[in-house]
Amino acid sequence: MFKHASKAIHGMAFFFILLSSQMAWSAPDAIAGKAKAQVCAACHGEQGVSSMAGTPHLAAQPQLSIFYQLLQFRDQRRLGGGMEAIAATLSEQDMRDIAAHYASQPAPPPHTGGDASKIARGQQIAQQQYCSSCHGAQLQGQKHVPRLSGQSSEYFVTQLRNLRSGARADMDGTMASAARSLTDEEIEAMAVYARSLP
Amino acid sequence: MKLQRFTRQVQNVALTMGLTLSGFAIAQAPAAPPASAIPPTWAQGRTADQVALNLVPHPPGMTALPVSDIPTDKLKVPAGFKVELWASGMPNARSMVQSPSGTLFVGTRFPGNVYAVVEKDGKREVKTIAKGLHRPNGVVFKDGALYVAELSRIIRYDNIEANLDNPPAPVVVFDALPKDEAHGWKFMKLSPDGNYLYFQIGTPANITVQPVTHAVIVRLNLKTNILETVAHGVRNSVGMDFHPITKELWFTNNGRDWVNDELPNDTLHRITAKRMNFGYPFCHQGDLLDIDFGKGRSCDEFDKPVLKIGPHVAALGMRFYTGKQFPAEYKHNIFIAEHGSWNRTKKTGFDVVRVALDAKGNVTKKEVFVSGWIQGDDFWGRPADVHVMKDGSMLVSDDVAGAIFRISHSK
Repeated sequence: MFKHASKAIHGMAFFFILLSSQMAWSAPDAIAGKAKAQVCAACHGEQGVSSMAGTPHLAAQPQLSIFYQLLQFRDQRRLGGGMEAIAATLSEQDMRDIAAHYASQPAPPPHTGGDASKIARGQQIAQQQYCSSCHGAQLQGQKHVPRLSGQSSEYFVTQLRNLRSGARADMDGTMASAARSLTDEEIEAMAVYARSLP
Repeated sequence: MKLQRFTRQVQNVALTMGLTLSGFAIAQAPAAPPASAIPPTWAQGRTADQVALNLVPHPPGMTALPVSDIPTDKLKVPAGFKVELWASGMPNARSMVQSPSGTLFVGTRFPGNVYAVVEKDGKREVKTIAKGLHRPNGVVFKDGALYVAELSRIIRYDNIEANLDNPPAPVVVFDALPKDEAHGWKFMKLSPDGNYLYFQIGTPANITVQPVTHAVIVRLNLKTNILETVAHGVRNSVGMDFHPITKELWFTNNGRDWVNDELPNDTLHRITAKRMNFGYPFCHQGDLLDIDFGKGRSCDEFDKPVLKIGPHVAALGMRFYTGKQFPAEYKHNIFIAEHGSWNRTKKTGFDVVRVALDAKGNVTKKEVFVSGWIQGDDFWGRPADVHVMKDGSMLVSDDVAGAIFRISHSK
């Protein structure tokens, strides 16, 4: 009996050591991230839903996608919104934590109403352009690829235009290539479609 | 580009027709889905059934793990060998080259950095010597200068070692290269006579009939600045080295995606003649006709690989073992860094393999040499390149951990 119990305790201890050594792997901490995200909340909203037109919603974005964009801003490979200066003050752990906080928030509410034919047109363009290949079937994002569903349409339009012109460099050229042939009307329609998605 | 424009035109025509016809098609079934644009490179060639597999490329390594978080003890090497963390703090560390005086230069794909690792007062120091370059994956050292292969140009930093803290502006050596992002980052190697830079121009898609400028290995004559094609039909090689005795070029090649879990293999090749063609896009691994483009062709038209390395392993950096530290049986073996698969339901690769050859250059053995980057389905790092040091030990770069490991042997 004793033997068994001590074995079990050994096993437990081993498990906890293993767990904590995994944790030391600077796992992103959403709780810590909430406090650290106060600097973000002024524009992006406390829950990651921005009330400022043109500022992206961060709620329910994949953790890695927020983290990678913060890295891009810090290294000035992406510019805009004063984010370079803010990202420069953050450690990578801060970035991971902030990203985890926003990733854990409920998705931004989909935009209701709107021009149904424009939404349908946007969906059609998005299908033609294979957006879901990387952004997911509901454009919900995955891994380092951002969520587009429920996103601010102003932000969506600005970013796609910047990717098309090269003003915003994307990580591996995929978006530059995807955006190259899009017209303003197509971008606008996709933005309206994306913001309507839950 | 051209293909895209063409598709776009077709699409526009289709759209116009659609608009014209839609007036008539009143009580008919919903229209067929509109003609499509080009999918992202990685998804190109994927069938409708394969969409459900949910396979997507891994996020690129963008950061460096802190030393305390690098699980070096997970790396396994054969008995008698030792593995240690040699340098860290280099986001996306990939291709390596060393100067005669010992400075190690390291290229990257994503952050646009080039690093130098120097030993000073018995301590190792990492310096970021270039930032903001466009996919500076290839590095070569010659006559005191560092040559860097960016996506579409070759640049040179003269007298680099005396200026590591304040590198000079680079000189553009050659910039008449394609600008395709897909398979556009380069592995670069100096020829044994020092006269040529060898590098690849990969195919601009997963599977396509590429322009004659692509899916090739080329060499740049450093005296005349003339570019020549060395081999055709090479989908994308991200590792090459010259045989220490025959001086023939050997290289790794990454096979196409979206056939199935077991096919095709990544391959190891050897250039024994001029104008060799290794089959892309018509024939893969020397004996597998392409499911899309192989019709009416035969693999007999093409040159064969020396070895099928494994499916989807992502065979990248390779070197002949030219050191004396490892046991005699390792002499002139080939080490290959397998970056690891994404286009496979069960992950494979994520290791360094060793390939032994007989005197004629035939493969006699292939076995895993370093493993442990992956536990179950989770990987913490990905080996990208290997490098043999002057003392005979070997370095392995890891572009996810942002680190370099050293493997040594003691009798």
